[in-house]
Amino acid sequence: MSSCVLDKETFRHCCQLLLQLSEQLGDCWCWVPVQDSQDGYLRKTALRLVTIDSRPFGDQAESSSELGPHNSCLSGPDVQQNDQDQSALIGSANGDIIRGDIEDQDNKDNRDGDDGEDRICRMCEGSSQVLQYEYHILFSCSYRAPVLYFRVCTLEGRSLSLEEVWGSIHPNFRLCLQTSPFTMVTQQEHPLLGQAFFMLHPCRTEDFMRPLLQAAQDQNRPVNYVLTWLSMVGPVVGLDVSLKYSTQF
Amino acid sequence: MSHDQHHQEVRIYEQSAASKIVMASNTSGTESAAAELKLQFAPFSSALEAGFWHQLTQKKLNDYRLDESPKCIKGYYYNGDPVGLPTRLTLEYSAFDVDGPTPARCCPAVGTLYNTNTLDAFKATDKKALLEKEAKEIWDAIQSGAALKDPSVLCRFILLTFADLKKYHFYYWFCFPALCFLEGIKIVQQPSVLDQALSAKQISALQEAYDGLFKKGTGVVPYFLMKYTDDTVHLAPLGDWDTFFTDNKKVTVGVYDPCTLSQHPGWPLRNLLVLLANRWGSKLDTVEVLCFRDRTLQGSRSIQHSVIFQVKLPNLSDSSVCPKSVGWEKNSKGAMGPRMVNLSECMDPKRLAESSVDLNLKLMRWRLVPSLDLDKVVNTKCLLLGAGTLGCNVARTLMGWGVRHITFVDNAKISYSNPVRQPLYEFEDCLGGGKSKATAAVDRLTKIFPGVISEGYNMSIPMPGHPVNFSQATLSQAQRDVEQLEKLISEHDVVFLLMDTRESRWLPTVIAASKRKLVVNAALGFDTFVVMRHGLKKSPISESPSGGAESSASCSSASSSSSTPAGSAPSIPGSSLFSNIPGHKLGCYFCNDVVAPGDSTRDRTLDQQCTVSRPGLAMIAGALAVEMMVSILQHCEGGYAVASSSDDRMNEPPTSLGLVPHQIRGFLSRFDNVLPASLAFDKCTACSPIVLDHYEREGFDFLSKVFNSSHSFLEDLTGLTLLHQETQAAEIWDMSDDESI
Repeated sequence: MSSCVLDKETFRHCCQLLLQLSEQLGDCWCWVPVQDSQDGYLRKTALRLVTIDSRPFGDQAESSSELGPHNSCLSGPDVQQNDQDQSALIGSANGDIIRGDIEDQDNKDNRDGDDGEDRICRMCEGSSQVLQYEYHILFSCSYRAPVLYFRVCTLEGRSLSLEEVWGSIHPNFRLCLQTSPFTMVTQQEHPLLGQAFFMLHPCRTEDFMRPLLQAAQDQNRPVNYVLTWLSMVGPVVGLDVSLKYSTQF
Repeated sequence: MSHDQHHQEVRIYEQSAASKIVMASNTSGTESAAAELKLQFAPFSSALEAGFWHQLTQKKLNDYRLDESPKCIKGYYYNGDPVGLPTRLTLEYSAFDVDGPTPARCCPAVGTLYNTNTLDAFKATDKKALLEKEAKEIWDAIQSGAALKDPSVLCRFILLTFADLKKYHFYYWFCFPALCFLEGIKIVQQPSVLDQALSAKQISALQEAYDGLFKKGTGVVPYFLMKYTDDTVHLAPLGDWDTFFTDNKKVTVGVYDPCTLSQHPGWPLRNLLVLLANRWGSKLDTVEVLCFRDRTLQGSRSIQHSVIFQVKLPNLSDSSVCPKSVGWEKNSKGAMGPRMVNLSECMDPKRLAESSVDLNLKLMRWRLVPSLDLDKVVNTKCLLLGAGTLGCNVARTLMGWGVRHITFVDNAKISYSNPVRQPLYEFEDCLGGGKSKATAAVDRLTKIFPGVISEGYNMSIPMPGHPVNFSQATLSQAQRDVEQLEKLISEHDVVFLLMDTRESRWLPTVIAASKRKLVVNAALGFDTFVVMRHGLKKSPISESPSGGAESSASCSSASSSSSTPAGSAPSIPGSSLFSNIPGHKLGCYFCNDVVAPGDSTRDRTLDQQCTVSRPGLAMIAGALAVEMMVSILQHCEGGYAVASSSDDRMNEPPTSLGLVPHQIRGFLSRFDNVLPASLAFDKCTACSPIVLDHYEREGFDFLSKVFNSSHSFLEDLTGLTLLHQETQAAEIWDMSDDESI
């Protein structure tokens, strides 16, 4: 059935509609054109405060039940360990030299007793960590379907490994994901950027889109392929699509 | 860690438990309580996206090269974050495109990039001077009035970087320059959220006015002026001060505020207050400040959580001298120092290849075989004896499984006929007499996958019936070869026998049996093959005397082709003698032979010495050898696993991957495989107790006797000679029986 696959033209059209809705809803999807070509992709970034659960993926099904409410004190995350190692490296190897030549002026004022005032308030990083999620929606010619690429990085710009990404997902949700048909996550070079991204493999996209599209067609209901697809696969990697995309307009 | 260092700090908890604020202070708790009347700012946290580092790498390699001159870059900040997120200045891949678009609703911030060529230059850079230079520019823009026309100059940043592109380590240090008053800024009216300070009507009027201002300009307005009555709100750009505020009685300024704290403004306000003090300080006593925050959640917009307060503008001591400035960011330890991020995992192509390979294998686990123990496979050290057609194919399949340790032993050179059948070699490898197979195979594996840990040994394996005693030199060479082989077998977990002669398999079979190493053996005929695991002898300690007796009993029963199942062999009705043989009772390659290995290449034509087999056979057999190894490793008993047979094909498999057969015998003419199993033979010329015993007691002396003697030595030792005589007698009987019919 022809309407179960997506052609490039329809993909762009769907993206445009999605962008309009995003604009109205104050969501932050944007279209990134690729130089010297008609190609491009939808892009969105999001920030999240998460607690990293460092256990390997395979262990999660067994142990998720013993975890209490979300973000109960899971300790010893790999990510933070790494960060500490790195900063420790600077501190020991290079820090002394670098640290010496500039002073913390705001605090120095205090020491000097100029007026005993501190002018900085500082966010304290607790057990949780701020992660930057980056989502790209591309069109795959071979699967004739949209493909969700994503990567997650720390505020320093270090991409997380897939284990770390899984670790950042709520344990209860992880269990569902393991059995969901959308979780074929692989690492792949971004076809337009040439950088390492994770990708939700599109090999089953047509399968789960077909009944939806068919139902819509039977009822003569217009359907935005990309939006509908995104609302299904997005939550798998923490990308929620507001219901308002389909209810408000 | 940082908690210890800041034990004197006072923490305030916001509405959200996630947002903990630390008052960076050296003062004691009581003093800072008194200091609450002074304004404190939430500094920027630098936020870099992975794409930024990729782009910096590209710029460094293609554009900047050794150019260290300052470059203009662009970041942005956002006033719509949910509570709990730090106040960030973000740089993404587009940071180098200063004229490019800024993400919707975000405020651009222009900065200067200083990318040094060396770590030493990074360290040696005078940070204080950089800050003062930038502060001076801000100050000049304030004094000249340029900052009124383009207030974005008030919110600039410096980024000092060093990119170690060999290690993919990036050192960086951000600075968000802020000019300082000599004294603190007194809060006249405590910060309150907008919906407590203004009416709903005023708030919606403000939103409307802001959107009007926003539309007029090209983008987000970082600073603006505000006038309001009970019903109306008017906004104007900063530059319109003189026409907008006619009496200076009550002045309200708005700042696009990236902070989410309800009691504190973000960093961008700092330089604005200095500007106000410089230009209108003499006329103004207090200023009202609106920290404009504009959040859209699930499609509904809100500015009610914006913060409004009044401060008393301090005097600038001398309006002609640039004030002191601050702004270098603390690192993750809370110290004044640079940060370093190691991006080798996402940028080093070799690391990327490794993680992709692992990820692909993990997919198998996640989706299809959840109980698959990949670590066991990946960490297995494999010794490949023979780097020909079988060796090449085994190596490639091992790589497919992510096996990292692959060692080759071969003494041959690559010849012109090899590359078409031996997928690790190319035409070029044959030139000039040919490269050594063992080393060429290692080179190729490393090219295919740099993460592999591979070594090649160009050496011969001494063989029975191939004398080594021509001279002292040949004898000591043989001894060295034996020692090397013993060492290699000790150092590996699995030994693959992939040679092209039978007798070359004898020595490694003996050594591996003695060292209790798993052996996987593959041998090719023209259109038939055998892939088998050798029985793994029980370790000498765990082998009980009765167990030894049992095995010899069952072996002798097998060898004498007795029809009655003997000893411990389970006699389930309908099952054959050869079902359910435990791994330690399985035979080796030589167990089914009734002649000792000798020189099989003698008296053969050249054709027969070359590998003459259907070309697909080596790939099939090589792949099966690896898959058999993986299945064995997945079995909880490993090499001691009971042998699966063809009959088990219908039963519940013993491992997540299926059966663990003893042998796979394939017949390409029929495209058929069978899974026979056979018992160890107590007269085996390689793995029988008497051979192992002699080897373990006499070592090379025993081995050299085997190498230098004809068949009869091993056959006499093991009792095969006697067996031959018995069977010959039996054959005669048979013959005579036949003849009599």
